[in-house]
Amino acid sequence: MASKAEQIVAALGGSDNIVEIEPCITRLRTEVHDASLVDEAALKAAGAHGVLKAGNVIQVVVGPEADTIASDIEDLA
Amino acid sequence: MADELDVLAPIPGRVLPLTEVPDPVFAGAMVGPGVAVDPPRERVRAVAPVDGRIVKLHPHAFVVVTSSGRGVLVHLGIDTVQLQGEGFRLLAAEGDEVAAGTPLVEWDTAAVEAGGRSPVSPVIALDAPPEAIGDPVATGQVEAGARLFTWR
Repeated sequence: MASKAEQIVAALGGSDNIVEIEPCITRLRTEVHDASLVDEAALKAAGAHGVLKAGNVIQVVVGPEADTIASDIEDLA
Repeated sequence: MADELDVLAPIPGRVLPLTEVPDPVFAGAMVGPGVAVDPPRERVRAVAPVDGRIVKLHPHAFVVVTSSGRGVLVHLGIDTVQLQGEGFRLLAAEGDEVAAGTPLVEWDTAAVEAGGRSPVSPVIALDAPPEAIGDPVATGQVEAGARLFTWR
């Protein structure tokens, strides 16, 4: 079973697609190379409350565990 | 959870519905229901909205979790994570047990607005169902420490 961090990275199109991930208190603000590789349904399956897309900036709303998930994602890299 | 939790206004100001918050995550209640407070443009002290433990404390936002496990998020202004703490001063530490009304952060709402960001501050009942916060919700102007809403 993949961790939540791994599921989120995969749903964002894999680590190669991720330019940056910055946690805010309720969400991960991520910038990706190619937004078409982002799988919104998979992000929700990984526990996201919502996903906001604006160009290549994807905000994944995960609630207050955003910091923990972001540091887990850093650890994967 | 049948008990009722009074959630206090963390800052003074005008009470707004979340739908008026200029941020889709809060306006859409994606992390939970609540209300927002539009503070006066001056140095403002944000206080703990409930008794509990500070589980997250950023300059621009904090979460206090009660002994019954309810988390209240206070987000000081919109997009204020980008300020990286500038204009905010911490008055407490993550992990502290605090009483409702304890000052946690002092911030300069005028500076936030001057930087082009809204100081409107959502107060969120994290992961609560929408019907959990009904009446009475304060309206109009509130003082910090006044009851803002009841979480059922």
